[in-house]
Amino acid sequence: MKTIYTRVLLVLTLFTATPALAVLNVLTCEPEWAALTQELAGDLVDVSSATSGAQDPHHVQARPSLLSKARKADLLICTGAELEVGWLPLLQHKTGNPKIQDGAEGYFMASDEVSMLGIPVVLDRSQGDVHAMGNPHIQTDPNNITDVAIALNARLQLIDPDNAEVYQQRYEDFSQRWKKAIKGWNQQAEKLRGKTIVVHHESWVYMNDWLGLKEVATLEPKPGIPPTADHLSDLLQKMKQKPADAIIYAAYQSSRSAHWLAEETGIKVVELPFTVGGIKGVDSLFELYDETIKRLVEAMQ
Amino acid sequence: MDMSSIEFDIIGPAFLAGLLVLSTHVPLGREVLRRGIIFIDLAIAQIAGLGVIAAYGMGWDVDGWQVQVIAASSAVGGALFLYWLEHHFHESLEALIGVIFILAASTGILLLANNPHGGEHLRELLTGQILWVDIHHLIPVIVLYTLLLMLWFGLRSKPGSLMFYIIFALAVTASVQLVGVYLVFSSLIIPALATQNIRPQARALALAYLVGAVAYALGLIVSSMYDLPSGAIIVWALVVSALFLKLLYRSRMFFAVNR
Repeated sequence: MKTIYTRVLLVLTLFTATPALAVLNVLTCEPEWAALTQELAGDLVDVSSATSGAQDPHHVQARPSLLSKARKADLLICTGAELEVGWLPLLQHKTGNPKIQDGAEGYFMASDEVSMLGIPVVLDRSQGDVHAMGNPHIQTDPNNITDVAIALNARLQLIDPDNAEVYQQRYEDFSQRWKKAIKGWNQQAEKLRGKTIVVHHESWVYMNDWLGLKEVATLEPKPGIPPTADHLSDLLQKMKQKPADAIIYAAYQSSRSAHWLAEETGIKVVELPFTVGGIKGVDSLFELYDETIKRLVEAMQ
Repeated sequence: MDMSSIEFDIIGPAFLAGLLVLSTHVPLGREVLRRGIIFIDLAIAQIAGLGVIAAYGMGWDVDGWQVQVIAASSAVGGALFLYWLEHHFHESLEALIGVIFILAASTGILLLANNPHGGEHLRELLTGQILWVDIHHLIPVIVLYTLLLMLWFGLRSKPGSLMFYIIFALAVTASVQLVGVYLVFSSLIIPALATQNIRPQARALALAYLVGAVAYALGLIVSSMYDLPSGAIIVWALVVSALFLKLLYRSRMFFAVNR
């Protein structure tokens, strides 16, 4: 009888205790922000990401769970800078959740917290796929994560003041580990400085800025539009005269054009995770840059 | 399986959108099947999108209702051209519609080479997602479809060829933006196909509506329970409920119950 009692009690506490632990419902647009939230808030949040590392964050397939998560969310964390412009406004409007509307406390855009690169000098449609607010792929430089972490820590404390101390502690712990990790990556990547790369399209400006890589050509100057014959023959000629050190593409992108150029020129191709979950085994922010640096160094010794 | 995960206020508007699309597409689909021009919806949707891209190409800064007007007039223009083709090249009409579809799609790519912003609009026009549907989006479509249905069923016995093409163009331009090309195609063809041999016509039409409505309800519920993309699951639900009806009819159970 006693054992049954304790069992019932145990089950009861399990049922009541577990959900009560998660205080905040957090929805992120991209997995890197879910990973960062996990670092900064641990068990204090229930976090999920609208897209996975294998998906293009520009597009999202609407599932019922996404709407239901957006409705329950206390905090929405996205990259911003028009990256999610194709679906996020619809999601906000459709769920009508006041906590995650533009300007609300629960609306957090990571790109507001970093200094943006690639802001066009002249806004002109003829330039193609223009991002007026700058290049949105900020997660390719860990120093940007540092900036976002500072702001996100403050935001978590603002929304959930009862746990402010815990957030602060977790932030300080993360910040220390992160600084140390960046130091390590910088050391390993020293030999990459000045190397030249060909990219799929402009997804890597922040990484190039961080590591001192030089982008010498793009395979697909306009995303979604196949490159012209002219562009490809120009590219080929350029690469035969002065080959780049590597061709880089993100795991979620098609590798066809990268491999085509590699076959024509003999330049090495590097597939990079681009975000958390982009490649199997890359499950945290630390592993993301570990793997990125490892692959780059291996290809360009 | 998790029944509690079904949130009716999430799938409710989607179901309403589905019923709305079915209201016009079931009768139109039966006509499409009778005429043997299955790919007309793809062609019309593509032409509507092409119109919008072209407007951008000409430097018009269009948005909101202007996009709708351009899309609808392009679609009607395309439909009139198909009507003309039907009269002059009747025997190869289906093949010509296929050629027009692929030509419109390719022209879109050519125009987009210099104008990626039109591309976003093309994508919006062709890949509506049923779960994003908002009640406010439905109101103009309800008005349009009421008019179209009055034209279709209200005119004496049977609307002529020209009327069919115009009504079809307007109905598809609206539905593609609500639910996307896959669902438009399957809502047109599958219920019509399932009831093709059923007589009298009135019973066939009623059963086609039933197949469609059951499928949208089933698809949305399954999509909620297993958290799968709703559009793709509804396509499957349409096929399953169509096959189920066929099976019922073949086994004559249906007749037994009915008489």
